[in-house]
Amino acid sequence: MSDRTAIAKGSFPSDFKTMNRAIIDIFPLALAVVPWGVLCGSLAINIGLTPLQAQLMSLLVFAGAAQLAALTILGAVGSLSSIYSSTFVISSRHLLYSAVFRDHVRKSSLGLRCSIAFFLTDEMFAVTCAYMEKTKSFSAVYALSSGITFYLIWNISTFAGIIAGQHIPNLEHLGLEFAIAATFIAIVMPTIKNWSTLIAIISSGLSAILFSLFIKEYALIAATFIGMLFGYLTKDKESIDE
Amino acid sequence: MNDFWLALLGMTCITFSCRYLFFSKTVPFELGPKIKRLLSYTAPSVLTAMWVPIVFLGHQQTNSNFITSPFLIAGVATVIFSLKVKNTLAVVMFGMGIFGALKVLF
Repeated sequence: MSDRTAIAKGSFPSDFKTMNRAIIDIFPLALAVVPWGVLCGSLAINIGLTPLQAQLMSLLVFAGAAQLAALTILGAVGSLSSIYSSTFVISSRHLLYSAVFRDHVRKSSLGLRCSIAFFLTDEMFAVTCAYMEKTKSFSAVYALSSGITFYLIWNISTFAGIIAGQHIPNLEHLGLEFAIAATFIAIVMPTIKNWSTLIAIISSGLSAILFSLFIKEYALIAATFIGMLFGYLTKDKESIDE
Repeated sequence: MNDFWLALLGMTCITFSCRYLFFSKTVPFELGPKIKRLLSYTAPSVLTAMWVPIVFLGHQQTNSNFITSPFLIAGVATVIFSLKVKNTLAVVMFGMGIFGALKVLF
């Protein structure tokens, strides 16, 4: 598609192209989290947070699964420590992403490193890795553009959820809660490419049901650990054919 | 709701730290291949631990039957659909559509 020359590399038109590419690549992923963002906004209103608090959560924390888990715990008047520990467990996958980008990012300025870290999400990581594989080089412009696009859509949908939560009573009965399930199913199922991932998913799913019935507050963390452990212990000899 | 601000502050720090840790110039260690492998199962495990209870225990909040619960039927349908169609947005729309239709019907 591009016939870039050595001179054009790093110059404005090329950066502009990279930005465009990043926005196009992340857009479908960003649209898929809209119901989820709406849910985060409306659920926050539903459990008694102010619109400002609800929006700040998406502006500062910017982590859908962690936000949703925290809102559920806040709604059930759970403890701070259970919020912190579930946030850590849910976010710990970002340690992996951070480690993968490390060599490409480490020599950059503090500002750039902080920005890339702040906008690092599952979706941004996925598209940036795909782009890196295609072009054989890490692009900070690409990472930031896709990350910021995602951030904007996430916050706009949270805002929409806040407005909806204030004006439509019992919004969750319209099936927004099911939107989380549908979103997560859509994200998880394509990742099953080997036995170990399948085992991780099955064991975490089964234990999530069991734990939800008994130790509600820590069910998510416990089930996640079991899934990780069983996945880790499963040897991948052959991959599953689709 | 005073706890909210503490929760927000803590969560902001925790999520940012996890994303930033290995970008820091002062972190001398690397993640070993074993830890990396363990962490690679976090995302599927966490997400599954969140959707499975909605699908299989969702009937409890509406006091409906387990078998005829829209959560269960739409959930299973979404799982099957997601095996065929890889487009995330299409799967979400399909799931929501089935769930909405079941809610209207029952």
